[in-house]
Amino acid sequence: MTLPNYFLADLPPEADLTPAMVTDACLTLKRNRAHYLAVRDTPSILRTLVRTGEDWLCDDYPFRRFALKEGPLHTGFSAHTLATGLDHFFKQLTGENIEALLAQELGPAHRFDAFCASNSDSRTRRLALATGPELVGHITAGCVPNAAFMAILLGLLTRSAQFIKCSRGGAFLPRVFLHSLYGSEPKLAACIEIAAWRGGSPALEEALFAQCDAVTATGEDVSVEKVRRALPPRVRFAGYGHQVSFGYITREAISGWRAKKIVAAAAADVVAWDQLGCLSPHVFYVEDNNVGFALQFAEQLAAELERREAAEPRGKISTEDAAHIAARRAIYEVRAAHSPETTRHWCSADSTAWTVVYEADARFALSCLNRFIYVKPVLDVGEALRGADPVRDHTSTVGLAAQEHELEGLAKQFARWGATRLCPLGQMQNPPLTWRHDGRLLLGDMVRWTDWEQ
Amino acid sequence: MTTTSSFTACTHRIRAFIERGGGGDTAFATLVRELFALQFAHVAPYRRLCEARGVSPESLGDWRQIPAVPAAAFKEFELTSLAPSECVAVFHSSGTTEHRPSRYFHSADSLAVYEAALRPWFARHVLPTAWSAFRPAMVCLAPPPQLAPHSSLVHMFACVSATFGGSGSRFLATVGADKAWQLDSAAALDALREAESAGQSVVLLGTAFMFVHMLDELARRSLCFTLPPGSRLMETGGYKGRSRELPKAELHALLTDRLGVPPESIVCEYGMSELSSQAYSLVANHSVFHFPPWCRALVVSPETGREVPDGETGLLRIFDLANVGSVLALQTEDLAVRRGDGFELLGRAAPAEARGCSLLAA
Repeated sequence: MTLPNYFLADLPPEADLTPAMVTDACLTLKRNRAHYLAVRDTPSILRTLVRTGEDWLCDDYPFRRFALKEGPLHTGFSAHTLATGLDHFFKQLTGENIEALLAQELGPAHRFDAFCASNSDSRTRRLALATGPELVGHITAGCVPNAAFMAILLGLLTRSAQFIKCSRGGAFLPRVFLHSLYGSEPKLAACIEIAAWRGGSPALEEALFAQCDAVTATGEDVSVEKVRRALPPRVRFAGYGHQVSFGYITREAISGWRAKKIVAAAAADVVAWDQLGCLSPHVFYVEDNNVGFALQFAEQLAAELERREAAEPRGKISTEDAAHIAARRAIYEVRAAHSPETTRHWCSADSTAWTVVYEADARFALSCLNRFIYVKPVLDVGEALRGADPVRDHTSTVGLAAQEHELEGLAKQFARWGATRLCPLGQMQNPPLTWRHDGRLLLGDMVRWTDWEQ
Repeated sequence: MTTTSSFTACTHRIRAFIERGGGGDTAFATLVRELFALQFAHVAPYRRLCEARGVSPESLGDWRQIPAVPAAAFKEFELTSLAPSECVAVFHSSGTTEHRPSRYFHSADSLAVYEAALRPWFARHVLPTAWSAFRPAMVCLAPPPQLAPHSSLVHMFACVSATFGGSGSRFLATVGADKAWQLDSAAALDALREAESAGQSVVLLGTAFMFVHMLDELARRSLCFTLPPGSRLMETGGYKGRSRELPKAELHALLTDRLGVPPESIVCEYGMSELSSQAYSLVANHSVFHFPPWCRALVVSPETGREVPDGETGLLRIFDLANVGSVLALQTEDLAVRRGDGFELLGRAAPAEARGCSLLAA
């Protein structure tokens, strides 16, 4: 299978994009939107999305097969990692979930189709209609595709033409997804463009932003801020800066009969997307009280990661990334030799495939990712939160493993501290479709409301 | 007293080896093993690392199996065989952003080995060919030793100035409150004018960022010089955020333009405060470095830790016999391509561009 040249991202890498090409693409998108997308109703878009999601879950769906065959080369993920990640996303793409998303964001699901009233609207004798932007620009980073997939989904629901700008190397999966959409509904896909260029290409970005009425951006804080500053004042903006995540495991949970499952769940969170998503854990805090639960957990996690590596190998990484892991391991090796009671480490043999570092220091540590995880013993949640304080404003997800009776208390503490998503350990990289990204409404920044007082 | 008589004897043998200009693989291997055994015995944090790896002087096979200590460990551990009373100098790693620098301790003996190691390789690669008949002025774009007592680079500049430098040798920088080096532009211009008008070749020594500061000053004043034939420039180190960064080829082209020194007279040096020997590039626009015969560099795969084939990239691991008072085997974080018995330096493995959205640099 080869992908035809429908999108700018299909052009060979040596093809230089020009601002004029970006402007032309945006104008075409707007025209196509007016003809093909603005006139569609929510149920028909929903049907298309659900059908496409179901297709992607079929093993013999050509686009899935293509993504799994060519993906390792383009994304650096192994076929197994890709398959797991794609399955988790597309399993979420059900009619029920999309309707739940619309209900969460808008109240009645057909807000984009007609004036209608939620309960609170009725009480205040109002009707309201939601209108999406004409053209949304999405600036995405990295090659975990979920942010781009969600952007496409939300853009279609708001009937917006979309221009997705990916980082170089990050376009592959969104591009294959768009080709699959093109396969089932060419007219819908004709309202979406995808291109890849190196961040900080002001001429291209200026041409894009001049045509957009809304822009979303994910990536480093500095990059997101740069996008915000480059936008004309009339353009709506939703920025998602860098986020980190961690896990928290209580003493009661890890000392109980579920210990083995908790270790497997923790390994699943490290393995998913090779730990490269912002929902992937950097650290697992383990309640310990000096009895060795954390050390035991770290050792078992290492064994589990070794097992996982055999079945779901980490993708190939660059020499630079491997050098980072090697350098980080080297210093922990010296520390472990010097103070084995406070530092231990376990590493894959003859490769950088996985690393577990046990460190009796509650300060949050940024992992070098690619399946490199810290395990840190803490007395209680208070010590973990004090340790994680430097990343308090950047924390997305906390994966929890606790006994039923502990959960509510913990959840409140993490929420008041600032975490925006709490989930069971093992699900950190699998947020529901309705996940309020970084604790915000999904469509709130994008939609314009028209209230009609009766 | 940790400097045992056997340490002293070994140090003397190593110094003699260096002063002979090396002595073949077997002699190198013998000395490396001897020094490793002493360092294993006397450098406690290093011994613990070796024991954790299951390597001891008795079990050691090939000398290449000697455990290398990561350069970063010098920030956390006192990797020295010296008793505090023996220390006469401590070299710190540079860099304004480092909270805790590396510390490399020297005794009088180890400093003597360090100096014995740096002189001949410097002379061979940096000095003008006719240096034995003439002592060129060593113009150091660095602060003098009394202002930078913990800089191994400044110590080296002082050593080569005292050994090889003529009467016009001088240091041309001060140290700011933030510990950053500041070029004394007026003095630098004077030195260039003097060299040009005297018609005698000169050797300029400096870090890349100090050369950039000097070039910026020359550009600001629209000045160009033509340094006398035989003049040399030695450029070392990275930028560490202390000036705008220029690709090496561009820096060298600018130096040629502004100072009238041909590209083949510009030499690059690779050194670290945790090492006692230095590597030099042979030709300016060719970035292959060589260490002297008493110091061997391996390029190892970060995945497996094994030496990579010729032409492939890996991390630089250095075995330096001149590191007598510390640890002879050093694992750097510098990426290099193996080129025969030398290496092409690619630079520090920069924090990888994260492929996901967890983009905080670690």
